[in-house]
Amino acid sequence: MALFVAVPLVYIFVRALGAEPEAWQRLLQERIWKLLGNTLLLVLAVTGGALFTGVSMAWLTERTDLPGKRIFRWMLAMPLAVPAYIGAIVHLALLRPRGGIIPQFLESLFGQPVVTPSPIGFWGATFILTLFTFPYVYLLSGAAFRSLHASLEEASRIFGRTPLQTLVHVTLPALRPGLLAGALLVALDILAEYGTVALLRYETFSSAIFVQLSGRYDRSAASVLSGVLVVLAIAFLWGELRLQGQARFTQMESNWRPAPPMPLGKWRIPAFLIVFGVVSASLLVPFTVLLFWSIQAFVDPETLSTLFRTGSQGFGNYVWNGLWSSSAAAVIAVGLSLPVALLSVRYPNRFSKFISRFCQVGYAIPGVVIALSLVLLVNRALPFLYATPFVVVIAYVLRHMPQAVRASESALNQLSPSLEEASRTLGRTSLQTLIQVTLPLILPGLLAGGALVFLTSLKELPATLLLRPAGFDTLAVRVWVWAGEGFYHQTAPAALLLVLVAALPLSFLLRREQIFK
Amino acid sequence: MTALEVRNIVKHFHSSSHAAVNDISFELYEDEILALVGPSGCGKTTTLRLIAGLERLDAGMIRLNEQVVASESVFIPPERRGVGMVFQDHALFPHLTVYDNVAFGLLGKKAEEIRSVVGDMLHLVGLLPMSKRYPHELSGGERQRVALARALAPRPVLLLMDEPFSSLDADLRTEVREHVRNILKSIRATVVFVTHDQDEALFMGDRLAVLNKGELEQIGTPEEIFHESNTRFVAEFMGGSDFLKGRVVQGGIQTEIGLLNQTVDLPLSTPVEIALRADDIDFEIDGSGNSLIVGRFFRGAFNLYRLRLSSGQILHSFTDHTKILPVGARVQARVIAEHSLTVFSG
Repeated sequence: MALFVAVPLVYIFVRALGAEPEAWQRLLQERIWKLLGNTLLLVLAVTGGALFTGVSMAWLTERTDLPGKRIFRWMLAMPLAVPAYIGAIVHLALLRPRGGIIPQFLESLFGQPVVTPSPIGFWGATFILTLFTFPYVYLLSGAAFRSLHASLEEASRIFGRTPLQTLVHVTLPALRPGLLAGALLVALDILAEYGTVALLRYETFSSAIFVQLSGRYDRSAASVLSGVLVVLAIAFLWGELRLQGQARFTQMESNWRPAPPMPLGKWRIPAFLIVFGVVSASLLVPFTVLLFWSIQAFVDPETLSTLFRTGSQGFGNYVWNGLWSSSAAAVIAVGLSLPVALLSVRYPNRFSKFISRFCQVGYAIPGVVIALSLVLLVNRALPFLYATPFVVVIAYVLRHMPQAVRASESALNQLSPSLEEASRTLGRTSLQTLIQVTLPLILPGLLAGGALVFLTSLKELPATLLLRPAGFDTLAVRVWVWAGEGFYHQTAPAALLLVLVAALPLSFLLRREQIFK
Repeated sequence: MTALEVRNIVKHFHSSSHAAVNDISFELYEDEILALVGPSGCGKTTTLRLIAGLERLDAGMIRLNEQVVASESVFIPPERRGVGMVFQDHALFPHLTVYDNVAFGLLGKKAEEIRSVVGDMLHLVGLLPMSKRYPHELSGGERQRVALARALAPRPVLLLMDEPFSSLDADLRTEVREHVRNILKSIRATVVFVTHDQDEALFMGDRLAVLNKGELEQIGTPEEIFHESNTRFVAEFMGGSDFLKGRVVQGGIQTEIGLLNQTVDLPLSTPVEIALRADDIDFEIDGSGNSLIVGRFFRGAFNLYRLRLSSGQILHSFTDHTKILPVGARVQARVIAEHSLTVFSG
């Protein structure tokens, strides 16, 4: 199991260190520092933006009397079903400096060009990526806000802190574990992001590796860049672990009561507008635009016929490819996660903990790096797999396995070991106990892990693009290719369907949380 | 006949340098209830889990019905030991109904037999009408009884109970434990019962084994344990004893509150400690008495007084609830016990 994760990773480093010194030198001189600066700047800006947006949205919907907060809770989480590159396609079409829908509209209105903010470059990428990653922070901090003891804040007020001081000195520190976890998710997501930064022409490690791999086909350079990127990702992971380790809060379960919502008073309407603005930009506008384009596509017979060509070029084929490869990845990942979780939860020792932690590393490895390592490995060791869809599935499993391991571990942790012991004293062997007691009880948790793997695999772009055999198109791939060629109307139905299919497992996952019931 | 024999068992956990169970031996006869009692961390639950086969022992031997089930070379897995167990958190399977929970241990029996055994068991614990319910629909006391029925259904040679009442409310506990003891006695079950509550141990056990720091301090009937404690720990743990210092003299023991008329088999002038419970002491108001009332606690049917002797030694005394004296009053305390007191050489 651990080997499965380790081999590609080690291979990358071998290739990176084995690259000719000349390649290293060239890269060091020209590229690496620029890329490092670009990447770190974007990670910093988006993580900051997502933390700020996520926490303020969570505070408004959980702790105030904001109107419509029940609906907003759903709508603020739903952007997770929208791949950032689809959001970028929509916002780009709307705001492009030349030819964008809004600038054109304004020009026809005023009779002269009007300067509008451009989504291209650093600020555009920060804006778009913040819009589609803040829900991670929103969900984690929302849950933390809900579980916070009312008496904690009351005590702070009694000891003379103002509400603002209480927020800064008591509430936010208590949320720290959730915020750190959310920040890590966002940061790793940005490191791995390819589609959005490529569209908005902002170069990061991931997009540079992608170009090296697909265009120039320079594997040595790609390996060197990947090595640096992985070190960066592991540094984030390690940093979060370090910080998280010091921040373990225990909260008494008994006598828990939620804090009363804070009245917003005259700020109710502005607050509502702000939340509505965030929901519009991240969900309503992309959805409406895609819907509008889709209708136009269906009205136009020419687009309709290209869209629904039969055979391997047909729409149904893209849908099927996307669905089966993601489902297969989900099933395999959950299946593999089970022994790892059983080992680390039921037989905790250094070895099993290590295995479990190691399986989490896949999380930190961006899709392009997974793709690169698989290209290299499959060519050398498993040539019969080369150019088959199975390589794509393997990439999904490697990359999204940690979500399955975490879900299985948390499901097992909630299961009292005395249930299994009771089964043993009542005459069942350990295998019978696993099948008759453990599995039925942790099934919901396993399904949740599977749903998460399915959701993220469906959205995965760079690994699919790099590894797919010719003719193997998924929804995500088609959206990307058509959008790259500027066929927005043709893109829209596929993008819309992708968002809707991703929304299904997401709403299943959200329904498991108390706050969405 | 001996149903269970535990011989010199030892169990170490990796996380601790002390043995969780250190050289414990006892025997249990058929139809007997043995209560293992001691403070938390004394090794009582580990002993139970070793008997069940949920832990492996490091040394020693366990024999069930004359058959070795655990030793350094033998380990019979729990599913083949034929013991029943009631868990502290009941461990009812949440995905199964009451009926299916009780039937769980009857794997491989004929359908007809299963139906009749489960029916009998649910009838025994008075839960026949609840058989279609799920565990989350039951009250704490009902769950407790389902757990008992489930453990008893396969007719185990030995029933193990791990703090089975600790998850119940205090007022419910007294009622349930009486009910459970009656059930166990009516079917003549052989039981090892673990608790940290002395009252519960005295109530449930035909015999008690008092454990401390992984070692067996004393084993015996409730009366022996209570009145003839072998060690100072047992006297202290089993019923809040005070320890009065004294010295062996001709004809008894000289203490601060007078000569205790009890001969002991110790040389003259040996320093000793006498275990005194609150019902062993009485006092009268006396301006030149040997002690001072420093506290009074109303306990309904009686008053518990705390007395301080001039040396600083504290003694407790139960008196009639009508005998009310102010804190600060000087009194003359004396020993009124009619049984012989436990004396430890200091």
